[in-house]
Amino acid sequence: MVEDRSNLGDLRVGVALLLRVIMRYQGVVAISILGAMIWMAMILSIPYLVGTIIDLVVTRSGMSEVWPLLGLLLIAGSIQAVGISLRRFFGFKLSYRAEADLRNDIFTHIQRMAFSFHDVTSTGALMARASSDLSQLRLILAMTPITVANLVMFFVVTAVLIVIDPVLGLTASLMVPALLYTSGRFAGRVVGFSFDLQERLSQLSHVVEETVAGIEVVKSYGQEAHQQRRLDREAETIYDAAIGMAKQRAIHRPLFEIIPALGTVAVLAVGGIRVLDGAMTFGEFVAFMQYLAVMVLPLLITGWFFANLPRAAAAAARIDELLSTAPDIQEPDHPERLRSGPGEVRFNHVSFAYPDGTAVLSDVNLTIPGGTSVGLVGATGAGKSTIAHLIPRFYDVSSGSITIDGVDVRELSLDELRHEVSVVFQESYLFSASIAENIRVGDPMASDDSVRSAARLAKAHDFICGFPDGYETVVGERGSTLSGGQRQRVSLARGVVRDPRVLILDDATSSVDAIVEAEIQTALAQVMAGRTTVIIAHRTSTLALVDNVAFIEDGALVAFGPHDELLATVPRYAAVLAAQVIV
Amino acid sequence: MKYMSSAGEYNVEKPGTLIARAARLAPELRRPFAAAVAVTFVATIIRLLGPLVIREGIDGGIVAGDRQTILLAAAVYIGLLGLQYIADGLSQWMVALVGERYLVRLRSVVFAKLMRLDAGFYSRSKSGVLVSRMTSDIESLQEFASDGAVMALSNTLTVVGVAVALGVVDWQMALAVFAVVAVLVGVSAVFQRQARRAYDQVRERIGRVLAMLQEGITGVRVVQAFTQEQAQASTFGRVNERYFEANMAAARAISWYFPVVAFLRVVALGSALAIGASRVMDGTMTIGTLVAFLLYLEWFFQPIINLSNVYNLLQSALAALAKLFGLMDEPVVIDDRPGAYDLTEPVVGAVELDAVSFSYDPGTLVLDGVSLKVGAGERLAIVGETGSGKSTIAKLIMRFYDPDAGRVTVDGDDLRDITERSRVDALALIPQDGFLFSGTLRENIAYSDSSASDESVWNVLRAMGIDDWVRSLPEGLDTEVRERGGRFSAGERQLVALARAFLFDPSIIVLDEATSNLDPETEVQVEGALRVLLAGRTSIVIAHRLRSAERSDRVVMIDAGRVIAVGTHTELVESSPRYRELVEVWQRGTK
Ligand SMILES: Nc1ncnc2c1ncn2[C@@H]1O[C@H](COP(=O)(O)OP(=O)(O)OP(=O)(O)O)[C@@H](O)[C@H]1O
Ligand SMILES: Nc1ncnc2c1ncn2[C@@H]1O[C@H](COP(=O)(O)OP(=O)(O)OP(=O)(O)O)[C@@H](O)[C@H]1O
Repeated sequence: MVEDRSNLGDLRVGVALLLRVIMRYQGVVAISILGAMIWMAMILSIPYLVGTIIDLVVTRSGMSEVWPLLGLLLIAGSIQAVGISLRRFFGFKLSYRAEADLRNDIFTHIQRMAFSFHDVTSTGALMARASSDLSQLRLILAMTPITVANLVMFFVVTAVLIVIDPVLGLTASLMVPALLYTSGRFAGRVVGFSFDLQERLSQLSHVVEETVAGIEVVKSYGQEAHQQRRLDREAETIYDAAIGMAKQRAIHRPLFEIIPALGTVAVLAVGGIRVLDGAMTFGEFVAFMQYLAVMVLPLLITGWFFANLPRAAAAAARIDELLSTAPDIQEPDHPERLRSGPGEVRFNHVSFAYPDGTAVLSDVNLTIPGGTSVGLVGATGAGKSTIAHLIPRFYDVSSGSITIDGVDVRELSLDELRHEVSVVFQESYLFSASIAENIRVGDPMASDDSVRSAARLAKAHDFICGFPDGYETVVGERGSTLSGGQRQRVSLARGVVRDPRVLILDDATSSVDAIVEAEIQTALAQVMAGRTTVIIAHRTSTLALVDNVAFIEDGALVAFGPHDELLATVPRYAAVLAAQVIV
Repeated sequence: MKYMSSAGEYNVEKPGTLIARAARLAPELRRPFAAAVAVTFVATIIRLLGPLVIREGIDGGIVAGDRQTILLAAAVYIGLLGLQYIADGLSQWMVALVGERYLVRLRSVVFAKLMRLDAGFYSRSKSGVLVSRMTSDIESLQEFASDGAVMALSNTLTVVGVAVALGVVDWQMALAVFAVVAVLVGVSAVFQRQARRAYDQVRERIGRVLAMLQEGITGVRVVQAFTQEQAQASTFGRVNERYFEANMAAARAISWYFPVVAFLRVVALGSALAIGASRVMDGTMTIGTLVAFLLYLEWFFQPIINLSNVYNLLQSALAALAKLFGLMDEPVVIDDRPGAYDLTEPVVGAVELDAVSFSYDPGTLVLDGVSLKVGAGERLAIVGETGSGKSTIAKLIMRFYDPDAGRVTVDGDDLRDITERSRVDALALIPQDGFLFSGTLRENIAYSDSSASDESVWNVLRAMGIDDWVRSLPEGLDTEVRERGGRFSAGERQLVALARAFLFDPSIIVLDEATSNLDPETEVQVEGALRVLLAGRTSIVIAHRLRSAERSDRVVMIDAGRVIAVGTHTELVESSPRYRELVEVWQRGTK
């Protein structure tokens, strides 16, 4: 699955993704490179002009000849400004556009990935893909056009220098390979540390996330010190990685300045002597010095680019891995339409194990006649929720099949299937949005009236109206500002606001009191009438309400029939529920 | 609802105050920091000597026709470069040592503060925002420490040094250059204002992007169940696009500013050349001076441009600092007051709420003058409609919140007078949804005491009758529970949370619907274990299944934040019509 670790082998994948991105935004890249080229051309012509002016000064040719050249210098300066502007703006455009588009791709992809993927992938890892990894990518993309121009520039400058004076030119251009070599070496040394750092940063963020999410547990067990130790440990390892990197920086970075300076010394010594020998003019000498000065920054940028490329490529590789992981639950190529029918749900020899190998269901055969209701009963961990999750295809069966009105759920389009099967989860997850918006997740088209009647049905209307903002009350993350029972009722309303063929209620009233539960049951009777309903519950009152009960033990269906009948004939069934009868 | 008013912000407008405060955080690093600055200073001076040597080489060597001097100048320059290498490397290294050490401190301090804040703060704040204080905010400081700090320092020194050098070499040319720089400063001020506004917006919008991203991930199952993938994606697309636009606004600012700077640089070069050329031709200046001046000029503008770049890093570092200090300034509501004392051992376990009123949001009273008493070793059940305030009572007993009026006492001592340490040791809460940390089953059960032996863990499991279940897991106690315990069914998660509390062994235990997802058989079994484990302990049980109430010594019935009935189960059935109704409905449900 997706991990934060990457090895150098992935780099090729990452670079490939970068190239694809660049190809996708060809136009923008082209303009930015064009801007960079203009900039470069002007940067090169400026030292030439300066050199020419100096020659005029040395020969005391008089200011009248200098002025036009100064005019040209200003023109070159203006054109250069235009070049920079184009380069920068379109470079940014490329990088931000690519970042935003990829982030959309990642988000859409995450939304499509099946439960099995999310079961084992941490929120933090996915967040990192769509934030810090993308930033790495963006930085390198922003620098790509200028680096292309720089590489061209090195060739041109070297050629120009050699043309002006072959001996001096060759001497001076030695600094190009020297600098590129140094930055390459630096990159190689630093890349390991930076992977490490990235990894450790995400470890740290994981500790913080968990502490924040579980703060009540931390506080009630007084484990602040324990969490603090975990965090300090992570912070120390971050320190180690950062210092390891700093060491490499301290060794290599100064060279990025020293090497060009050595070039200047070479020009001074060799060039000075050649001027004395009359092999070159003084103006040419000054131009040389200027060329060297002008090349330093582009060389540094190029060095930076190659130093950061591995890191960005690794990030790109991680993103690529995520985007190219196909969801376990695939749309059929040629989906069948659901036939009109009462909503019969049938399990044929269904066995199921979670991807990690935990076998849960074995050879379950179960037919829920259309329009009837069934209660799933079984001990904690028997596999009730699992059965419920298989019907809307949150997971695919390992063997056997599940059909709705005779059509295998794997033959249906997911959209249609999940429109027809509505689930109220055991855990009432709410979004930090208004209560009305939360209910409308069940059916975005629902009118205010249907939102209200769903809330009434779930016995949520009264308490919602008790809030100052009523249905517009914004709830905290995961619904944290509501009480457990309130949360559960909003989630129930969300499940019943649509009009599904099959309704699944997974322990949907476990946190409400007996009176409210009884009221909900009465209301549910209307909803259930003529609708296939699967209810997971332990309350006898609920079980008395359903047409049949399926009793699950150790992942197998051991009994099926009306509640009274099972109570009378299946001792284990009575045992699992019995506790409630013996008051 | 008061909502979204996350960790208050600090004034970014006063960088001085911010930096002073940042410095106070780690006084022991001041000296190393001063040393690092000194070394950087030396490195910069060495760097500035270079052009002077070159001037000598040109004037005394090339112009005067003296080969010796040329070679000598080259040799001296090379020597200087050697020194510069050492000084530069040292400066990088020292700044990193100080900076990274500082960050370790900062992470630790901020995290410690975060954990001291109260439940109210947490329910007001978005968890993503809190996490970002510890991650992206500190990372932007890290970025500044590793890239920005040395650059800021050495470039500032360079600019000052070169300005002096320019003046020394030739003050007339220097004046012309300074005039251009004055224009540059004005232009930069305009740019900075524009950029700051843009970056503020960028920061705000990235926050929204991340918050939505996080909900898109944590709520993905709900999204899929209701086929809202496309709707979510398109909402996200819009938020994301707004972030893109904010970035492009910043990009536009940068895209005019840097070209203008580059142009001004050429103007400065042109004016220096114009003045220099005529002076050399006049004979009032040597050619070597002109060349040296031009070299310095290169070194003048590049650092200014660098500083402009660093300024952005600095801005976000300062903004990050401001947010961190905003968090540090959050009042610690639940804290040991001066003179707080420990509960007298052994803790007897008498709990009392005395006329307690409480509201989460001003104006919405959740508890209204609640008084109730739990004797030592007694088992009290709290029943009432959903949303009537039962969990709130539990949270007040745990001192997650302090009451607005009235007091909560343990063994007669107001919770606010008792040290946190002693309170925590005495009390345990098992909440509605037992939060599990990712890690192994063992780590979760032995959460309160990581040194607990396997034997004591197994003892608890055995007492609860779930040792067989744990043994049946392929990896037993080493099973990874995954994020929020996702590896387990809801009932299994509750069992783990119960085991965790039993191992903790408190004097007072509060169970807030801690068994709601268990099947009746398992629940009875756990109840049995409870009775053994809780013998002699005070327990407060919140449950909708009235069986728990029947088994309790006394029952308190809450309605809309008020106590409406207290007594034994049988008494209440007699005396309270509301309770009788509840019981009847419930019994109908279980028969
Ligand atoms: N963090 C919070 N911020 C604001 N309001 C809250 C918060 N937590 C709870 N409330 C409100 O306080 C009231 C009482 O909630 P509480 O959780 O105490 O109820 P409860 O009796 O435990 O209900 P349940 O049986 O559903 O768990 C509810 O109306 C709820 O909406
Ligand atoms: N994502 C998963 N990966 C691996 N095993 C899982 C996963 N989810 C659940 N299980 C295991 O599968 C078994 C059945 O879980 P399920 O959630 O279906 O139980 P349940 O009958 O609904 O229990 P409860 O009454 O507690 O809700 C449990 O033993 C659980 O540990």
